[in-house]
Amino acid sequence: MNTLMILMGISFLFPMYWMLNISFKTKSEVYNNPFGLPEQWVFNNYGDALEKFNFPRYLANSVIYSVGTIIITVFFGSMLAYCFSRMDWKRKNLALSYISMGLIIPSQVVIIPLLIMTRDLGLKGTHMGLILPYSAFALSSCVLMLYAFFRSLPRELEEAACIDGCSIYQTYFRIIMPIIKPAIATQCVLIFMNTYNEFFLAFILGAEDKIRPLTVGLLNFFVSIGVSHWGQIGAAMIITSLPTILVYIIGNEQIENALTAGAILK
Amino acid sequence: MNKLYGNKLAIFIFAFPALLLFTVFVIYPIFPEVLISFQKNDGFRNMGYVGLKNYIDVLKNDTFWRANLNTFVIVLLSTFVALPVSLILALVMDRLSEPIRRFFKASSVLPAVLSVTVIAQMWIAIYEPMWGLLNSILRALGLDSLALAWLADSRTVVPAIAVAFLWQYLGLNALLFYTGIKAIPKTYYEAALIDGAGFIKSSIKITIPLLQDVTKYLLVLSILGCMAQFAHVRIMTAGGPGDISRTVIYHLYYRAFSASDFGQGCAIAILFVIECLVLTFLINKFVAREKIEF
Repeated sequence: MNTLMILMGISFLFPMYWMLNISFKTKSEVYNNPFGLPEQWVFNNYGDALEKFNFPRYLANSVIYSVGTIIITVFFGSMLAYCFSRMDWKRKNLALSYISMGLIIPSQVVIIPLLIMTRDLGLKGTHMGLILPYSAFALSSCVLMLYAFFRSLPRELEEAACIDGCSIYQTYFRIIMPIIKPAIATQCVLIFMNTYNEFFLAFILGAEDKIRPLTVGLLNFFVSIGVSHWGQIGAAMIITSLPTILVYIIGNEQIENALTAGAILK
Repeated sequence: MNKLYGNKLAIFIFAFPALLLFTVFVIYPIFPEVLISFQKNDGFRNMGYVGLKNYIDVLKNDTFWRANLNTFVIVLLSTFVALPVSLILALVMDRLSEPIRRFFKASSVLPAVLSVTVIAQMWIAIYEPMWGLLNSILRALGLDSLALAWLADSRTVVPAIAVAFLWQYLGLNALLFYTGIKAIPKTYYEAALIDGAGFIKSSIKITIPLLQDVTKYLLVLSILGCMAQFAHVRIMTAGGPGDISRTVIYHLYYRAFSASDFGQGCAIAILFVIECLVLTFLINKFVAREKIEF
């Protein structure tokens, strides 16, 4: 069983290895010798791909979208979650069900009104035009997960802070925020993963070249060179995946924990 | 404490920004969407209300039904093939030694972490008719007649896309199942062990029934994910050949943005929401929902 599972594990990695292999081959060698090691190693596929494929800009855009979405979602989402778990207000349960509706509304559904709205609000062609919808759609699961986390926290700390004369804002930002760091870190990883790899909204709302994220920019590159030059396609794929793979190798356990956080909560 | 938690202004400051953002970009758009679905609208202006015409046009169009069928095929493959495979992988993962399990976890989750564009393009290479991985394997096995042009053949294109899409998340779903398995206390298995139940028997009698919660969560998640499938279709075939491999969301995209008919696009969106609600309702009705506490 062990051997079988090792083979299966390798089969998940094989396509990536194959692309790496192809990225060092000439245009014609891909057709004649798709699987063997390159007969002559060609390195200029990478240079050629980078010339036509504006990797630094797309990467920068992807990072702007991900980080922007994380900041807005985690900052406002954690405040709302705290408000749900601790504060007393009349329509709290109603608001909780309201925010849960976000879990069943796929972002694809409202793409047409979203496009019209970003146009009317003057957000078209700006990074904010994607960051705000991303944040709004990321809120539901962020709020619900942090809400569950807050409820498991004992209230004693805040009571002590209250007796010491801290205001609610001081209590929240000085005492609570540092305690919930692990939960916040999980949220950051989750939101980063989802935003960095998001395709549909980016494809429609981020269509202009200067604000394109990697997912869409890479597709445009593939479309522009057609399916003839696989050496360059392979090179572009490796360049695009390298940052993700590095992050994944370094933060493997943290990422796995974040990805499974939602399932445990259920 | 009450002073701290009952402060009206503080409640407003804590709750308002998130609720506003959520309302503006998630809830509010549904209203113009319904409105536009009754308009003749080219994306820039409303050219008059046309009643149910958009809905009728959408429902009369064969491509819409073809798109629904394709989406349904992907949902079925996910529910009855991909999820069970993930469950089996998770059950086996539980039996592995720690280093091998760690290797398997890391490698099988990697595709889910990589960009959809990379994965979908990689599968174009796998399905390539002349030198692609799949046909090379088939030819090496002497099955030349089975070496098809997978993405250009109307019989195979939808399952081919579904396999690429479902493969990407196979390992992640297995990891989620495995997390559920780990949460089951080992004492449940001790009695079974004494009774001489093997791996398969204890999996069927103990593990799988106790995984209900996770199973249901993954079922809802994967069904909604399959319903909303767009990226892999866009990258691998752009809905082709012709319009044969469109999914519902791809059809929506095409009507709204390529054919510049926002009215029909919104009508498709509303119909899609209804489909999703019906599916969610069916899952809730037919999949038992008992919270299991260990």
